[in-house]
Amino acid sequence: MSDCGCRKGNEQAENDKNGGNSYLPWPARIEAISEENSQIKTFVLAFSGDKRQQDYRYLPGQFLMVSVPHCGEAPISISSTPTRPGSVHLSVRRAGLLTNAMHGLAVGDTVGLRGPYGRPFPLETFRGKDLLFVAGGIGLAPLRSVINHALDSEHDGRIEILYGSRSPEDIAFKADIATWEATPKVSCRLTVDVASPGWEGEVGVVTRLLPQVDLDPKTSVALVCGPPLMIRFVMAELSRMGYSDERIITTMERHMKCGLGACGHCHMDDRLVCVDGPVFSLAELRGRDVVELRDKP
Amino acid sequence: METRYILKKDHLAPWLRRVAKSHRVVAPVKNRHGDTLYAEIDGLDKVELDLAGQPQASAKSFFLPQQEVLFTYRTGKGGYEFHEPATPAPATVYFGLRSCDLSAILYTDVVFMGRHKDPGYRRRREGAILISIACHQPHPNCFCHATKSGPFLEFGYDLQFTDLGTRFLVEAGRSRGETLISQWRPFFSEAAEEDVKLQYQLALEANGLFRRNVDVGCAVRKLAEGEVAEGIWRELADRCQDCGGCAYLCPTCTCFTIRDEKLGPEHGERLRCWDACTLEGFSRMAGGHNPVAREQHALKRRFQHKLRDDVHKHGRPSCVGCGRCVGICFGGVDIVGFIDRLSEEDLP
Ligand SMILES: Cc1cc2nc3c(=O)[nH]c(=O)nc-3n(C[C@H](O)[C@H](O)[C@H](O)COP(=O)(O)OP(=O)(O)OC[C@H]3O[C@@H](n4cnc5c(N)ncnc54)[C@H](O)[C@@H]3O)c2cc1C
Ligand code: SF4
Ligand code: SF4
Ligand code: FES
Repeated sequence: MSDCGCRKGNEQAENDKNGGNSYLPWPARIEAISEENSQIKTFVLAFSGDKRQQDYRYLPGQFLMVSVPHCGEAPISISSTPTRPGSVHLSVRRAGLLTNAMHGLAVGDTVGLRGPYGRPFPLETFRGKDLLFVAGGIGLAPLRSVINHALDSEHDGRIEILYGSRSPEDIAFKADIATWEATPKVSCRLTVDVASPGWEGEVGVVTRLLPQVDLDPKTSVALVCGPPLMIRFVMAELSRMGYSDERIITTMERHMKCGLGACGHCHMDDRLVCVDGPVFSLAELRGRDVVELRDKP
Repeated sequence: METRYILKKDHLAPWLRRVAKSHRVVAPVKNRHGDTLYAEIDGLDKVELDLAGQPQASAKSFFLPQQEVLFTYRTGKGGYEFHEPATPAPATVYFGLRSCDLSAILYTDVVFMGRHKDPGYRRRREGAILISIACHQPHPNCFCHATKSGPFLEFGYDLQFTDLGTRFLVEAGRSRGETLISQWRPFFSEAAEEDVKLQYQLALEANGLFRRNVDVGCAVRKLAEGEVAEGIWRELADRCQDCGGCAYLCPTCTCFTIRDEKLGPEHGERLRCWDACTLEGFSRMAGGHNPVAREQHALKRRFQHKLRDDVHKHGRPSCVGCGRCVGICFGGVDIVGFIDRLSEEDLP
């Protein structure tokens, strides 16, 4: 689909354990844990073996298959940026068996990782363009990787970030947001579904922030990630604002068991999200049977 | 042109016995219940080979076992280690594969030895020699002539056997097959022109003996053009009983799931098991959100994948026309029913 696919292939081969059993995870130690909110924790992970950690390559938008003892595996986006080597970050929301077990782990514990998998964001096409990020809840995790990548690589356009949370207490990645707010060419707008005492910011769904955006749809790119319903409304609104389908980019969540394009679970019409995605432009989704685009999901 | 040989029927058992000294042999065997299944043979004299009937199951499980240990793990005291099982795959001769079943293996090769290199599948496949038997008596539900995966094969086999009455015509398609002949050359003689003519005759006749006329091309075209009404998917979904039988039995259905089996507080194994895209939980995500509405689309993925997406990707459908799912579906919504439904729409 895009030329990123090939690069991913090489990186994956490089990272694969001896090019051998692609199902075998690599142990990684939890170096630090930060509590983003009551539901989300960011795990800072380092591979056992300095060489492997040093040689580890990935790109924003890719994900890892994470193993937790007795719980199997789950796909989790990498929320750190490759411009800050030495560790990978996974920001995990409690959702069920594995993610709850992971929240019970402590610094020094070990998880298993394999990957990176999936097609990353098309970073090379962002050069010289303004970037609009629209995220809901845990959806900021993969976008955090792109945002920090853009800042570290001195992105030559403006950056606007819109972030919706359920309540002020649910706002995740507060430390990052504080840094972004303090960065000159970045503007960051937050909204919550339900306010609590002391909240003076916006209230309402994240689409309500879109009219405040001061970017030209003809010269900027919009990156969207969040729950399916949010993706649908935001994409529709961006289209109305004049963003072309090629300039609206999202990342899809599907049930995944292998990450290798073999198990079939992540199918989305004729595509396998784990290898053809998870990053797609709206142009690539159009005409396909995709629940996020359907009027009645 | 490839060389063709003759193996007299009395020479089959002695030859296979020689082969079995250096290879594991799997062949269709009629068991004491009267069922024919591909099975590992130990002792040719102890079993009844069935080279006429269609085995009830395909050879899929020999390459993609219903359940397989991907690795074992140990945990505890902050550690977490993964160990690959040492599972050697012995060199195996698959003798008497139906053309449809051999074609199916060529398809599963694409899934597990293409972009993704599946370690277990590759181990088992690389040690495999595939010997097919051409069908001149198609079985009641067969329609491989319509999917171009039988009843006689033109490629893909290491050896292809054709029953000529008192003798087999043997064609070598690949060097591995050729080796099995050259190693025991005295059992084989060179085929005469009339043997080849007879095979040609049998192949022609076989094509006329199919009892089912399944218009695969029509279904492929309608799916490609998006001409399948939503109502049809809904009706199929309505009648599908969520048993997964069609997918488990299908030689080209390869979907699987992965899970951990805890064997003790500090150890366990990671298993891979067959799965079916028709099952309710297949695409459901945490929190219950399901991007595929099963009540409308239980079978859509299965039929679109086989008859549309694989045609698009590989140039041919991945249904090999074995007809097995016809027999097993008690909801009456097998692939043949679906294809017939689409071609009947065109009747005046
Ligand atoms: C590409 C991708 C990136 C993701 N990134 C993140 C992230 O950065 N942070 C985060 O918190 N979550 C992320 N998720 C969602 C996360 O994978 C699920 O929340 C997790 O699999 C739930 O597992 P569980 O055992 O805790 O839940 P349970 O409800 O106990 O299990 C859910 C069942 O569904 C299966 N499943 C497979 N894929 C998914 C899926 N996509 N969503 C839900 N269930 C799934 C699980 O294997 C399990 O069998 C991502 C998902 C995908 C596909
Ligand atoms: S779909 Fe049915 S007929 Fe086709 S290969 Fe599978 S089991 Fe055989
Ligand atoms: S589908 Fe074709 S190859 Fe398979 S058993 Fe029937 S006739 Fe033989
Ligand atoms: S997760 Fe297995 S095919 Fe995509």
